[in-house]
Amino acid sequence: MDEKLLGEEIIAVNHVYKTFPGEVCALSDFSISVRRKEVLVVIGPSGSGKSTFLRCLNGLEEVDKGSIIIDGIPLDDDKRNRLEIRKEVGMVFQSFNLFPHLTVLENLNLAQILVRKTSRKEATDFSMALLTKVGIPEKASIFPNHLSGGQQQRVAIARAMAMMPKVMLFDEATSALDPEMTGEVLAVMKQLAREGMTMVVVTHEMGFAREVSDRMVFMEGGRTVEEGPTERFFTNPKQERTRLFLSQVL
Amino acid sequence: MSFIKASRYSKRSPIVDVAAFLLVMAALTWVTATGTAKLGYHWQWYRVPQYLLTYEGGRWLAGPLIDGLMITFEITGASLILAFSFGLISALSRLSDSYLARMVARVYLELIRNTPLLVQLFFIYFVMAPIFDLSRFASAVLALSLFEGAYASEIFRAGIVSIHKGQWEAAHSLGLSTFDTYRRIILPQAIRRILPPLTSQAISLVKDSALVSTIAVYDLTMRGREIISETFLAFEIWFTVATIYLVVTVSLSIVVSRLERRFSETGYPVE
Repeated sequence: MDEKLLGEEIIAVNHVYKTFPGEVCALSDFSISVRRKEVLVVIGPSGSGKSTFLRCLNGLEEVDKGSIIIDGIPLDDDKRNRLEIRKEVGMVFQSFNLFPHLTVLENLNLAQILVRKTSRKEATDFSMALLTKVGIPEKASIFPNHLSGGQQQRVAIARAMAMMPKVMLFDEATSALDPEMTGEVLAVMKQLAREGMTMVVVTHEMGFAREVSDRMVFMEGGRTVEEGPTERFFTNPKQERTRLFLSQVL
Repeated sequence: MSFIKASRYSKRSPIVDVAAFLLVMAALTWVTATGTAKLGYHWQWYRVPQYLLTYEGGRWLAGPLIDGLMITFEITGASLILAFSFGLISALSRLSDSYLARMVARVYLELIRNTPLLVQLFFIYFVMAPIFDLSRFASAVLALSLFEGAYASEIFRAGIVSIHKGQWEAAHSLGLSTFDTYRRIILPQAIRRILPPLTSQAISLVKDSALVSTIAVYDLTMRGREIISETFLAFEIWFTVATIYLVVTVSLSIVVSRLERRFSETGYPVE
């Protein structure tokens, strides 16, 4: 991992504020920058704003103040920009969110055909290649409900990859899985990281974070408490709060 | 699971059920028969078939009741399509970001649901029809579909909001537009869930269509009234008309429950 060459900045988050009605600040003056091919892992106690941060990155939540620029496109009120960013940013959810009325193959094909305007034939070829990559090509014609949680999440990753995104967001992708299934999903995520995908990962899997990430961010109360290169972050955190949190989760 | 069900039902033999049913029917028949006997009503069932079908010159001809039924079918068919369109459009309007769309839909729903259908029908026929040059048939269809559409709207809305928010998020994160998300993700799932209430709405539509006889549209009910005024066969004709409505609505329920079963066999269970 050490010798991986990171590219230029692809995500720029500047002084972002976000408050949900009737709740405390989800994000408060939050800034971060992510470079191409970088794997950034975000950790923090629940309610620290890490999921909100991810959801702001593809416009699922609108920010109250501040700016987000992804691959040169500002995420603003312009619907076309938002659509453009969503095409470039893939997201994997804790609860998979596969489309239950469509087969696995149709789940993967849908956006390729509707959004990327590829032909059905081309889309199917690419989908099958992705399913092979995540290890379940034989499930193509099956409805998602008949798959195990781990398989569903791998389909969800393949579905996001089908849009050929430049950035992948993972929102606690393994938190809803039985322990014996987290491994297969983490393996797919590791493979993506090895291939140079830019990834922003919210996770509680510290082993995975330490092995795969280039940089760590520890959030609390909608702010960055500490960020830094992974190895230093784990071995020698600067903040007392980070030290305490790590001692509780490791 | 299945054996529990079986044991619960097997306690009672079907013969008991059939006997109970026959007993109830016999009692009802007896009540009706003695009641009409007291009225001195003279039953003339033999005169009814000619109003359904007649055999003339070597071929079967539809009698006035069947003609009326066809008009009822035409009206309900056209109204059904329009009502579900109105319902879907106003449901989507109520869920849209546009304040104007939400308000228009709201006013439509409140107006329709808080006034009697008969008044709406008269309003459209006597007030709107002369202005816009609408035929009786068109007025009937418009009134019925506006009315049923308001109720269908709530059904559609309930179906749409019952779909988990994660489906929206997944579709949006893939770059799908709101239109495509509704068309390919939300509505296909919602329709399966709302099929039963939509069926009841369609059945209401069939029944409510009887009201169009008040503006002299020659539907099943109007034909019945017409025959009665000529023949005074009130009991026989109303019994017959009611039975025809019953056959139509029950058939409709059966078809839809078959359809539901087919849906659930695709491997995607309806929750």
